Amino acid sequence: MNRIKVLKLGLYAVAAVILARLFFVQIIQKETWVAKAEAQHTLENTIKAKRGEIYMMDGSEPVVVVMNEKVYTVIVDPMVAEEAELKEAVFNENMKENLVAKLEEVLSDRTRRYMVVAKNVSRENALRIREAQPSGVWLQETTKRVYPEGTLAARTLGFVNADGEGQYGVEGALNAQLAGKDGLLKTVADVNQVALSIGDKNVKIPAEDGENVVLTIDRNIQAEVENILQKKMDEYGKDQASAVVMNPRTGEILAMANLPSYNPADYGNVESASLYINRVTEDPYEPASVCKAFTFATGIDLGVMTAESTYYNVDKIYIDGWPIENASKNGAGVRTMQYALNWSLNVGSIQALKWIGGDAENITEEGRKTLYDYYVNKFGLGEETGIELYEATGLIGDPVEGDGRDSLYANMTFGQNMLVTMIQVAAGYSAMINGGEYYAPTIVKGTIDTNGELVEKEKAGALRRVVSEDTSRQMREMLWGTRSSPRLLGIDQAGYFVGGKTGTAQVIRDGEYVMDESVATYVGFGGAEGEMPEYLAMVRIWKDGETTDAQKMALPVFSEISNYLIDYLKIKPKVE
Amino acid sequence: MRESSSAWVRNRNIVRHTPKTLGSVSQSVILGVLVLVVGLIYVTQGTKATSYDYELSKVENDIAKLEAEKEDLAVERARLTSIARSDSNEVAANMQVGQVAGYAE
Repeated sequence: MNRIKVLKLGLYAVAAVILARLFFVQIIQKETWVAKAEAQHTLENTIKAKRGEIYMMDGSEPVVVVMNEKVYTVIVDPMVAEEAELKEAVFNENMKENLVAKLEEVLSDRTRRYMVVAKNVSRENALRIREAQPSGVWLQETTKRVYPEGTLAARTLGFVNADGEGQYGVEGALNAQLAGKDGLLKTVADVNQVALSIGDKNVKIPAEDGENVVLTIDRNIQAEVENILQKKMDEYGKDQASAVVMNPRTGEILAMANLPSYNPADYGNVESASLYINRVTEDPYEPASVCKAFTFATGIDLGVMTAESTYYNVDKIYIDGWPIENASKNGAGVRTMQYALNWSLNVGSIQALKWIGGDAENITEEGRKTLYDYYVNKFGLGEETGIELYEATGLIGDPVEGDGRDSLYANMTFGQNMLVTMIQVAAGYSAMINGGEYYAPTIVKGTIDTNGELVEKEKAGALRRVVSEDTSRQMREMLWGTRSSPRLLGIDQAGYFVGGKTGTAQVIRDGEYVMDESVATYVGFGGAEGEMPEYLAMVRIWKDGETTDAQKMALPVFSEISNYLIDYLKIKPKVE
Repeated sequence: MRESSSAWVRNRNIVRHTPKTLGSVSQSVILGVLVLVVGLIYVTQGTKATSYDYELSKVENDIAKLEAEKEDLAVERARLTSIARSDSNEVAANMQVGQVAGYAE
């Protein structure tokens, strides 16, 4: 065989090997190599949806109270970072509030490749770092929730956690509406990672930004209510207070306050997670004597009593063998129901239940069933109200099943032995005094469109009739009578019609009601004389382990709120 | 008889027809040139598109930068006009509290 032939054979062999390799790469391993190639020249990014902002009202104008801000995380590769560059660009005076690591820590272990040294760095400082171009330092863009109003309404607003999920309050309950939907960018890119329009597989799904939600809360009312609560808590030495202010004609919430508060931008810095709870909607409790108004409204609506109906009052009676006493003693004698409401006589509200059941001497099953129907199905106690927040239901005992129903329902006539939330009571009261129609409380006024204009949501209207207009009128007068009785005369501005009721609730400890601890509540409403009420406010103030008297501590809080609302809402007094 | 030969002469084809064909080298060169031209057009268009992409990318970056600045300013504005801020404002603190007058007695 001559050399040419050998060379030929050699070339054929090489060609065969190359062909075989090509076949292997292009046919057998096709998918693998295509995937690798695509990964090299394909840019795939998630287009982050912008989380919706939250607005409150400022009179008739929406103002933003929760926003987004671009911030940066500074990451260092200690293996390649230079000490001098780090000192100049990162570990300087401008960055001191953002640093989460010390320079010595970075330099102490040069084997590491990744170390977060600063968080929540402003865009301005991030630009300075970028311009300095220090070795082994890079920036990661992220978004931070900003609360320009600080702690205002924090327990109503909630917060956004490190994963970008809304937690508690509006942020949690409306998370789906606020979060939006991320988009996707998948495109051919060059070596500089610049997206190129060439290629037939480019995908761009735009992000759907979250909705900007406008709350019905007026930030001025909210701020003033919180100021008043704080002032009164300090004055009375109490450490917990909540309040809700609403428009009884529409169900719109004007303020929802819980103190103490916290800074939602620094939500981890709280002593207890209980601070995240919105006690107005999530914390069922026994509101006590404010419920007498519900019992009386039931009796009046059924036509079995009026404010002038009389009964023989005693200081103590026994139901199912259990003693039930009036808080105000020495009131024995024939008394009107107005008197019973004014002096918050438990025996009087039990008498109303007896009349409701059709037997002036005894509590009947019919009476219990009727009261249950009014409490639950009409006033909405023990049921979710439908407000756009997390809600607890509470507990209203069954009128038939179980032992001691008479005793249970006797207690329920004055708001004990039952669990309801403040929002349930406030919504029920609104229905009682607004002409008799129940409006589901709402905290969402609408949204802000792309032009920055407020788009109000459709008003839901009244859900149901609770009591007749006449009953509602009588209850307004009874509650005004209670508030304007001689012992309270002069606390409201003249020319206005302000009514309300106290409730001092005993507290259960270790399964028994105790005498050394109580929670104070006040529910009231106000407006011009002869007009429908324009606001309703409910206040709750207390301290664990201490007694808190509603007359002395909750009522004055309401009075200050009420007088502020009269001025702020520019309610004109009736002039004779 | 002798016909006039001028007619025959007049009409005779005096051009010599020979088939003209490109040689293989010329064909290759022309093909090469055509491929080059098409290639250049393709590359030019591709580069043009890419240059637009760069321009687009720059504009998008500018937009993002301006939006970030706008967001920063909006946050600053909200902070400056917040109730918390106005409460701690010295001028506001020194303002006289308004007195409501004229209520009916």
